[in-house]
Amino acid sequence: MKILTTVKKVVDVELNIRVNDGAIVEDGLQYVINAWDENGVETAVQLKENNSAETTLVSIGGDDNADMIKKCYAMGIENGILIDDPALANADSSVFAKVLQKVYEKGEYDLIITGKQAQDTDNGQAGIMLAEYLNIPCVSNVVAIEVMDDSHVKVSRLGDAGTEIVELELPAVVTVSDSINEPRLPAMRGIMMAKKKKIETMDLSALGTSIDDLGGADLQSEVVEYMQPEARKSGQKFEGDAAEITAEVVGLLSNEAKVL
Amino acid sequence: MNPLLMSLLLIIGLGIFGRTMYYKIQLLLALGPVDPANRFNNIVERLKNLVILAIGQKRLVGRKREWIAGIMHAFIFWGFCVLLIRSISLYGEGFVKGFQLPIFGHDGLIGYLYIALKDIMEALVLFMAAYAIFRRAVLKPTRMHNTWEAYFVLVMIVVLMISDLMLDGARYNLITLFNNPDHLYFFNNPKFGSEFIWTPVSVGAASLIKGLSAETTSWVLTIMFWIHITTQLVFLNFLPLGKHFHVITALPNVFLKSLGYPHEKAAVLDLENEAAWEDETLGLNHIHQLNWKQGLDLYTCTECGRCKDVCPAYLTDKPLSLNEFNDDLKAELFNNSANVIKRANLAANLNGNGDAEDIEAIKTQMAELNSEKSLVGDIISEDTLWACTTCRACEQVCPVTIEHVPRIIALRQGQTLMAEAYPKELNVALKGLERNGNPWGIGYDKRADWAEGLDVKTMADDSDVDYLLWVGCAGSFDDRTKKVTTSLVKILQKANISFAILGTEEKCTGDFARKVGNEMLYQMMAEENIATLNNYKVKKIIAACPHCLNTLKHDYPQMGGNYEVIHHTEFIDQLVKSGKITLNKSFEGSLTYHDPCYLGRYNEIYDQPRSLLNSVAKDGLKELDRHGKESFCCGAGGGRMWMEETIGKRINNVRAQEIVDKKASTVAVSCPFCLTMIEDGMKELAQEENVKTQDIAELVANNMA
Ligand code: SF4
Ligand code: SF4
Repeated sequence: MKILTTVKKVVDVELNIRVNDGAIVEDGLQYVINAWDENGVETAVQLKENNSAETTLVSIGGDDNADMIKKCYAMGIENGILIDDPALANADSSVFAKVLQKVYEKGEYDLIITGKQAQDTDNGQAGIMLAEYLNIPCVSNVVAIEVMDDSHVKVSRLGDAGTEIVELELPAVVTVSDSINEPRLPAMRGIMMAKKKKIETMDLSALGTSIDDLGGADLQSEVVEYMQPEARKSGQKFEGDAAEITAEVVGLLSNEAKVL
Repeated sequence: MNPLLMSLLLIIGLGIFGRTMYYKIQLLLALGPVDPANRFNNIVERLKNLVILAIGQKRLVGRKREWIAGIMHAFIFWGFCVLLIRSISLYGEGFVKGFQLPIFGHDGLIGYLYIALKDIMEALVLFMAAYAIFRRAVLKPTRMHNTWEAYFVLVMIVVLMISDLMLDGARYNLITLFNNPDHLYFFNNPKFGSEFIWTPVSVGAASLIKGLSAETTSWVLTIMFWIHITTQLVFLNFLPLGKHFHVITALPNVFLKSLGYPHEKAAVLDLENEAAWEDETLGLNHIHQLNWKQGLDLYTCTECGRCKDVCPAYLTDKPLSLNEFNDDLKAELFNNSANVIKRANLAANLNGNGDAEDIEAIKTQMAELNSEKSLVGDIISEDTLWACTTCRACEQVCPVTIEHVPRIIALRQGQTLMAEAYPKELNVALKGLERNGNPWGIGYDKRADWAEGLDVKTMADDSDVDYLLWVGCAGSFDDRTKKVTTSLVKILQKANISFAILGTEEKCTGDFARKVGNEMLYQMMAEENIATLNNYKVKKIIAACPHCLNTLKHDYPQMGGNYEVIHHTEFIDQLVKSGKITLNKSFEGSLTYHDPCYLGRYNEIYDQPRSLLNSVAKDGLKELDRHGKESFCCGAGGGRMWMEETIGKRINNVRAQEIVDKKASTVAVSCPFCLTMIEDGMKELAQEENVKTQDIAELVANNMA
């Protein structure tokens, strides 16, 4: 079985993200692998360990993605493809999905695993669009996966009404939830060994396409401006004797907040 | 007496002994691809250790908790030292009738004093050995496990003493009762009188056989002589076979102990060395990777169990029993001794061999000689390995200065680096460290948020300051500990100290990563921090956490970070002593202090915290039963802070209970981990209202004039 996983580099959401003049302030930011994609990588590696599978990851971005790809090698991914093309700077989910489509077509994979969404944009579209473009089945928000035979997998997805169990015929796309597993830390021996490992880097022409082919000239969505969410006012803390506090709180609720 | 028999006994006895020792030493020298730190430097300090710890038996007689057993052991040891001289003269007697050593065997004052001392010592050793048998058989201290071997050795000691005393008793009778028919030698200097005035015990022994005829008495003397000599040689040969090897190895082991830092520092592993990864030589995975000093430690362990008796893991029912740990490693070492030696010989062939094919072939052969068992998993269990809090209580009490913690860390390195088999629950903290430089994984840019509005400079603002205040992760991110940091800042500002913080440029020192064997992450943290510190030309650091203190002070110099590092309690104490801060004795209530392991046992800071607490507490400081050098760990060290404690009792609860039992109303700490653990323990025991946990900085800040 050939598995393709996608990984996106996103800004570390643990940090305060500041906005200036409608743009994100880059100073002080750091980038990490999208957490859901990390679950996807772990899923792929576990499938490889428990079944015979070959794992490949694809990432779109600049050569600063190399670090992240090598960490995925250290987690157990075997091959890495980096699509590095400046034309993709403003691309949206649809364009990304089309890039992935081209990658898929070059490698003929059986299973595509993506994180269910990216931590930065929270769009959650690329994986589903990819399935649509490829005209293959897709299950989103997957929390468990099991290989049935060479051409079938059984997945559980968390739906609104509970857990749904779906049997899928391959090839197919699954987008995984963060509750599917606890990603391992990159193996240290792997990190050392990964230093020498190659990343197959391609631009769009090497992929046999162009930004126009992918609909890049006519983006379906565009970021117009970033805005800082309003800071939440800090709460009020009461300390001391329970009876006194209760009286004080009741007073505030009726006099200041006027809710009582 | 009988030169032929004497020669025969000596040749057999010493021959076998020599052969055993040769093999044991050969095995030691075959150990370890990596040597320990230099063990032959600072001879004066080493001799001092030898005198105080080994000859003076400091850790045996100096412990309040077990002084009786300590005295017992010390007298047996001292007795043996005294009797060594006597033995030599007996060997001489075996060859030449009336043989006497120079000085000790001459009827001068020294000769007389020596025989008197020998006489008393034999009685004392006999008494102590009898008590030791009684203690083992009747009192049965829990830390010891009783073996036939121990009884056998004690019985041999009894036989040795009795035979020598009876020998002298028989001699006395022959000389005084029968007019010395065999012309036996004895001191009779007119100045000091007859020898026997000086040897009351032998004279007492003589009275037991005074009814015997001259001939029989003469036989008794001869028989006692040979019994003594034979027992001695059997004893000597028995020693290297088991735990009594310490009789021979303890002195060298103490002489060769680590200096300057309480134990062998973890080496900075060369992680870029590909061969090391391929040959699996990083960390400790197989028995041949112990270094020779660690081998000597194993030879020397007396299995006394003092270590486990103070071990927080053992005492809370974790499967970590250090003497068994030692025993298991020792058994594995002996089971593989031939292969270890062969392997070392092959390794010697590698050096200077330029032929790549040869090298490959030798390496393959070497790999085949590795023990089939990995140390973790086959010899000791994972649960044993990860239970240790690296508190060093074990090392502090070990009478023969055995080092457990470096071995445990090396084994963890093997697990983390080579086997990828460390507790997965550590992942969250390790990932947090990697990404945001703190185990909680909170955004690094929030590291200085605590300082908002406190008027604290960062080095980036102004690096022309006297001190860098190293806040630490807990002091920066943990809400409770932030209050400690605030108090500390208040004190420094009050004393007008010129200081700054690194702010968002500070990262975890990497202490816990190193202690769980993640050398890669540790080196990453250390490199980044050292680069930042050196960039600002930092010279003096005040550390608000003993773990940070220890890493900055002892580990960073290995990687080019050399600073004068001082803990906040030391620094505040200096401020008080120099009059920059005045304390009021205004703290009311009963105050006790919990010594953090990394402040006390690792850095010997015991007095300064106490001096501060005594200066604020109206009623003075009330000590816990386990305090100072024998303080009981809070359970958080060695990375345990970031692991669940699922086996046995919780260490922090046990410590909290001890504090509650002391009827303290406040327990002072000086470490953020202790603060968290003990406060949690109090909550668990529903005592948090009755016993407050406070850092010394808070107590000082609240009681400053
Ligand atoms: S390590 Fe030290 S304290 Fe522990 S059993 Fe051995 S000799 Fe005794
Ligand atoms: S360092 Fe502490 S926890 Fe570890 S073995 Fe020694 S006494 Fe036990």
